[in-house]
Amino acid sequence: MRAMAEFTASVYQNEFLPDGGTDVHAIVTVECTGAGTAGQTGSGAAGEIIIIDTSGSMGQSAMAGAKRAAQAAVAEIVDGTYFAVISGNGAAFLAYPLVNAGPAMVPMNDATRAEATDAISHLRSGGGTEISTWLDMAGVLFTSVPQVVQRHAVLMTDGENNEPAPVLDEAIARATGYYQCDCFGAGVDWKVEEIRRIAQALLGTVDIIPEPQQMQQRFEDVMRQSMARGVANADLRVWTLQGAQILFVRQVSPTVEDLTTRRTPVNDLTGAYATGSWADESRDYHVAVRLAAKAVGQEQLAARVQLALGDQVITQGLVKAKWSNDSEQTTRIDPQVAHYTGQTELAQAIQEGLAAKAAGNEELATTKLGRAVQLAAETGNAEATSKLRKVVDVENEETGTVRLKKAVEKVDEMALDTASTKTTRVRK
Amino acid sequence: MTEPPAQSPASTPPATPATCPHCGAPLEPGSKFCEACGRAVTDEPETAPPTRTDLDDVSPISAITARPGATGSDAASDEAPAPCRECGGVVGDDGYCTQCGTKAPSARDHFEEQPAPWVAGVCDRGIRHTRNEDAMALAVEAERAVLVVCDGVSNSDNSDVASLAAAKAVLAVLRPPMPKGLGVPESAAAAVSKVFTDAAAAGNQAVVDTAPDDTVNPPSCTLVAAVLEDGVVHYCGLGDSRVYLLPDEGEGQLLTVDDSMAQLMIAGGTPRAEAEASKQAHSITKWLGKDSPDIKPRVGNVEVTAPGWLLACSDGLWNYASEPAALQEQVRAAGSTDPREIATHLVTFANGKGGQDNITAALARVGGGLDTGSPSGSPGSTNERSAETDVGKNASHG
Repeated sequence: MRAMAEFTASVYQNEFLPDGGTDVHAIVTVECTGAGTAGQTGSGAAGEIIIIDTSGSMGQSAMAGAKRAAQAAVAEIVDGTYFAVISGNGAAFLAYPLVNAGPAMVPMNDATRAEATDAISHLRSGGGTEISTWLDMAGVLFTSVPQVVQRHAVLMTDGENNEPAPVLDEAIARATGYYQCDCFGAGVDWKVEEIRRIAQALLGTVDIIPEPQQMQQRFEDVMRQSMARGVANADLRVWTLQGAQILFVRQVSPTVEDLTTRRTPVNDLTGAYATGSWADESRDYHVAVRLAAKAVGQEQLAARVQLALGDQVITQGLVKAKWSNDSEQTTRIDPQVAHYTGQTELAQAIQEGLAAKAAGNEELATTKLGRAVQLAAETGNAEATSKLRKVVDVENEETGTVRLKKAVEKVDEMALDTASTKTTRVRK
Repeated sequence: MTEPPAQSPASTPPATPATCPHCGAPLEPGSKFCEACGRAVTDEPETAPPTRTDLDDVSPISAITARPGATGSDAASDEAPAPCRECGGVVGDDGYCTQCGTKAPSARDHFEEQPAPWVAGVCDRGIRHTRNEDAMALAVEAERAVLVVCDGVSNSDNSDVASLAAAKAVLAVLRPPMPKGLGVPESAAAAVSKVFTDAAAAGNQAVVDTAPDDTVNPPSCTLVAAVLEDGVVHYCGLGDSRVYLLPDEGEGQLLTVDDSMAQLMIAGGTPRAEAEASKQAHSITKWLGKDSPDIKPRVGNVEVTAPGWLLACSDGLWNYASEPAALQEQVRAAGSTDPREIATHLVTFANGKGGQDNITAALARVGGGLDTGSPSGSPGSTNERSAETDVGKNASHG
């Protein structure tokens, strides 16, 4: 049965610009329905790799939790999906399948699921943490099964990477555009910024798992979500007219991701931004274009925002510009644009505030986190509000007046940091 | 390779065309009615013109000679998508240029008609307005030409739909040859006057019929019509659209008299240029529409005595060239004897001046001088109804 995935694009914008106005902002919501199941839609096989940190820092309960989590993830992988398990410390080891040559991933079935579950139960911890080797091995494993076109990994680590930053960055660059990776940090001894770099480049999520007993549930969830992504490798395409400048292209929901620099040209006027695979879901994009002003009364197409599978454009939304003398038309800011502009600033304020706090700059941290509290309230982001309140004491939400808490649980700070890019949708 | 989904919901279901067959506005997929003009989109556009029934009340001797096969074209003709008017690029399925993103004009925003080699018109949205509320309707039968121009009033609802409906309704009434009355000039003049009054009434009814039920700003439009028949131009006007007679040599004439505040000022002694530049100049004192105080047009006629052009136009053109000499200069500047090229030049000229309003220019060759099958006329011929004795010229029959 071939999935009949459908995509729609809706545009939210105030298309009216004042006389001489040049900047057009729009939120484009792309929705996918009927995505089906990964690897089951006739478009090619799906592959899953589970990467478990087995460094020496993984204590007994963490190891036990990680094993249960990996086994739970294996249980969620649907039959027929190619899979492998990597155990990683100072180097990467193929925990399953136990092969010396040829394809290093096997299709899931009752027998391989039982073998993998058993192999995971024998994992032992020891050694350092060199994540570049884990990422590279995942790439090698995927390469060994060319029939796999939808490639996804889930990675969990509990500690800081023991490599110079450029080494990790180079490995990230090798994996970028080849496979997607959702990342988890276990406990509080890992670096949010480091793991977020991996997740953002590999079109995945980053999240904290504070306690080992929570690992199983999170792995189950992330693998179930991955299995629901029946549409592989979709691109967002943005066309704009000759001479126009794309100010930015951002995903703004479910999380904020700046895509601007990830553009690959399709033709002179169109660029593609990889969005990875899709489940039944909707994602919002904020597109900003600067173009030459036309006379009042003129209408101009500023951008075509398209969803493409391979070479085929499946749907598109039109971002328009209409110049007007009517200030009632031109001064109105689209509520969606306003909302996501605030949410983007919120993510930035949280990250900058926490970075300032870590660097000992309490004044800047107070200002930034205060602004974050204000934005979270304005944009109705209850999750951010509740996480912020564990880090700062709020005196006045409206004005963003806060004091840094004297004693803050590190896990609360990290949870605030990892969740900083999560956005809420506009209240309707 | 990724297998794309077979169907996208963004693609239009086959039942709904991409644009409204009546007014050319883009349609939402699955729409049953056009959001712009409110009409059902699966219906065929009405093509049957109303027939004149009470035409010859004044002149029962003349037979009704409506000719269903008379030449005339429709605004919404199906032509292959034209290249982008801005850059020459390919216009995409979404109605915008694939290169420069300029919105391709809809069939309503810009249309051209040329029912005969010697008669043509261009109706254009201009630059400043977001839609084209001007309309025109042209017809040619042998050596007889009819030019109708209506200019929708911009602060009323549906004026774009109303003006086009009015122009077509007026044209339908004016298609048959003018009645001759009882053979004496007064009788013929009265009969022609009656036809124009009927035409205006038909136009008015068409405008009223397009008014949304709950509108507080009922649509309205101006009307000018010019009929070239047997070497005579019969014309009528209501509002501030105009008919000019522009001979190749010698002085041109503005035939119609505006129903506008500017005209009232001129009548009161204000110089034309000053009056037409005044703030209230474009407030019209007569129009077609539900709330119209008076729908009897001023009518008149004039003998064609020299080769040249008959021009019916909206204020979107004459705002930039009110004096006949200025229009004659633009006609010459077009450097063509093709009325379509001249009309296009006039529209381009007005857009070049800012295109503040919708622009319509409809032209018919008069008095011969072209090898295009136009009526030859008789330059310099004497006629008992010369311009001076022009029956009913500029006389209000209201």
